[in-house]
Amino acid sequence: MVSQTPDVVAATGQANMLDRLYDSVLNIYRNHTFRVIIQAIITVWAVVTFTFFLVRLMPGNPIDVLIEQILVQEGISYQEAYDRVAASFDFDPDATALDQYFDWFGDVLRLDLGTSITSPGTRVVDEIARYLPWTLFAVGSGLLISFVLGIVLGMTMAYYRNSPLDHILSLFASFMTGVPNYIWGLLIIIILGIQLNWFNVGALRGTYDVNTTPGFNLPFIVSVLEHALLPIITYVVSTLGGWMLNMKSSTMSVLNDDYVNVAEARGLKDSRIITAYVGRNASLPLFTQLTISIGFVLGSGVVIEEIFVYWGLGHYLFASITTRDYTSMQGVFVILVITVVFANLIADLTYGFLDPRVRVSGQK
Amino acid sequence: MSQPMNDDVVLRVDDLSIVYQTKRGNVQATTNISFDLKRGQAMALIGESGSGKTTVSLSLIRKLPKNALITQGQVLYQRDGNVRDVLKLSKRELREFRWKDCAMVFQGSQNAFNPVLKIRTQFEDTARAHGWTDKNAVRERALELLRLVRLDPERVYEAYPHELSGGMKQRTLLALGVLLNPQVVILDEPTTALDILTQRAIIDVLNEMQQRLNFSIIFISHDLSLAAEMADVVATVYAGEIVEIGPVNDMFYDPQHPYTHGLLTSVPKLDHEQDFVSSIAGAPPNLISPPSGCKFHPRCPYATDKCSEDDPTLTGEKPDHLAACWNKDALLEAREEIARKELAQ
Ligand SMILES: Nc1ncnc2c1ncn2[C@@H]1O[C@H](COP(=O)(O)OP(=O)(O)O)[C@@H](O)[C@H]1O
Ligand SMILES: [Mg+2]
Repeated sequence: MVSQTPDVVAATGQANMLDRLYDSVLNIYRNHTFRVIIQAIITVWAVVTFTFFLVRLMPGNPIDVLIEQILVQEGISYQEAYDRVAASFDFDPDATALDQYFDWFGDVLRLDLGTSITSPGTRVVDEIARYLPWTLFAVGSGLLISFVLGIVLGMTMAYYRNSPLDHILSLFASFMTGVPNYIWGLLIIIILGIQLNWFNVGALRGTYDVNTTPGFNLPFIVSVLEHALLPIITYVVSTLGGWMLNMKSSTMSVLNDDYVNVAEARGLKDSRIITAYVGRNASLPLFTQLTISIGFVLGSGVVIEEIFVYWGLGHYLFASITTRDYTSMQGVFVILVITVVFANLIADLTYGFLDPRVRVSGQK
Repeated sequence: MSQPMNDDVVLRVDDLSIVYQTKRGNVQATTNISFDLKRGQAMALIGESGSGKTTVSLSLIRKLPKNALITQGQVLYQRDGNVRDVLKLSKRELREFRWKDCAMVFQGSQNAFNPVLKIRTQFEDTARAHGWTDKNAVRERALELLRLVRLDPERVYEAYPHELSGGMKQRTLLALGVLLNPQVVILDEPTTALDILTQRAIIDVLNEMQQRLNFSIIFISHDLSLAAEMADVVATVYAGEIVEIGPVNDMFYDPQHPYTHGLLTSVPKLDHEQDFVSSIAGAPPNLISPPSGCKFHPRCPYATDKCSEDDPTLTGEKPDHLAACWNKDALLEAREEIARKELAQ
């Protein structure tokens, strides 16, 4: 037998250590929770960076926009207007986009979204904190209502498939998904606001009636609901059809599953079979789609809020785009992306509670 | 059957006929089937695929597909002296009857358990649906039954279905099947999807359970050797009819119907349903327009003119061993001939 030289021993020792390090890194990566979080962080960074440069590729910049305004309003020379605007802005138009990016990104890492370019001194974070809750409220309740309604109606369609009820609901659902959400917004204004005159759309600007005092009191709550109602209806109507059709097909396939048949043979009550056996299993795929839907609806919120003059984040974003207020726009994008990714993250990490099969494979 | 039901009869199927209504016509899946099942007895229904075994079993708990129509007959269960026709139960009575009086393991049911609920919840659901709400008592009984089917009771009770293997799930289902002390347990090809060793284990467990709990069994199979190990009584089903019925030994050593004889002389090839009848020439008949007379006559080596004209009824020298055949003598001669040849070799 040949004895190993110290060199070889050291080398194998090192290799073993590397192997073990590699293994443990791999193990951490294999951990579902960890991986999902890392993916979320990378997604946020990529989208935020992308939008940063996208925003700067838009024609025009905040200075030009304001100079234009001043020129029109005050009739002074271009140079005068430029000097005045440049002095009052927290923005150096001559810095390269890359420099601006590193500057801004450093601030973001310190949780500082900067101040508005067009109204210096206004912190973007404060503005977002003012607008975001309204958007979350409207979009959140819209999605929730349409999700629950969609599940109930979809199951009904599956249970009464090929009946007149099913045919009517199917037609209704296809129509609702076929029409884009902004068209729904306009249709709702025209039908509910103008034709039927149920709502005074003009009076429903903003998110609540300024004559009420914000707080836990009935007039305020009623006015909040009044203002949010039309956007919420729009979110519901534009997403409901999808849930209904998905739930119908999902329920129909679950109804053919062995365990439903066996549950009937076990003499379980219909109510128990419909909820815990059919409904629970049939809605599983819809929860995955719910996470995707959150992003879509938040995105469509920009237009819907503008149509209804609902002062949420979308309205704020729209105003920032008009004045090319880069920092505000970026701030909104950062928050939107984080909201979507965070919602996905929560959905992903909690899905295991709904489906035990994922719980185990996720941990392996 | 007009005789009164003896006390020891738990299930009587009386002149039952079922058709499936399809676009191409009515499929006569079950024709004039009658039999008695006694307390603690195991009856095997055997026959080729498509002979109507599943249809009969589903009708016993009224779980037939929507296009099925029961054209005549009765399905009588007797418990504590009360006789009830399952076909006449109200919706609510039927729900209460299911599983409590008659439990069923469906054919090809690999996923009998709801994947998102623990086994425990599914036992509790079953108990609660029949008015048994004491969870501790359910648990105690369930653990006892899981032990009886040779599973690790505590672990299985708290497990989700996907954490169990196919054989374990099937045994768990057997335990769930007897949770409410049913009088009759129907098993439709309960081992077909399982490997040979698991099949053995299931059969052993079933025999042991039946001895302990004394329920009656209807065991459906295309595998004669499996049926022989389970059954006291065997019935051969051909084209929706019982063509022969008798005690298991009589059926094996003294078959009276050419179809039973054909099944016995064919060599089973493990678990391939199609292959085991290879020694009977031809294919099962079309049940939309079945052959005249004896439905087996086109495939029967002993068929005469009479067979294509008149449908034979179940008759026999012994009262408990009946066969529907005009030419029992011809079959007997043929069997003696075969026996002589085997001796000569
Ligand atoms: N839902 C149905 N509709 C029409 N025909 C059916 C239906 N189910 C079974 N059949 C037919 O009824 C006959 C008996 O089937 P089945 O009871 O499943 O036999 P087995 O269990 O012996 O294989 C077969 O010819 C089959 O094709
Ligand atoms: Mg079958």
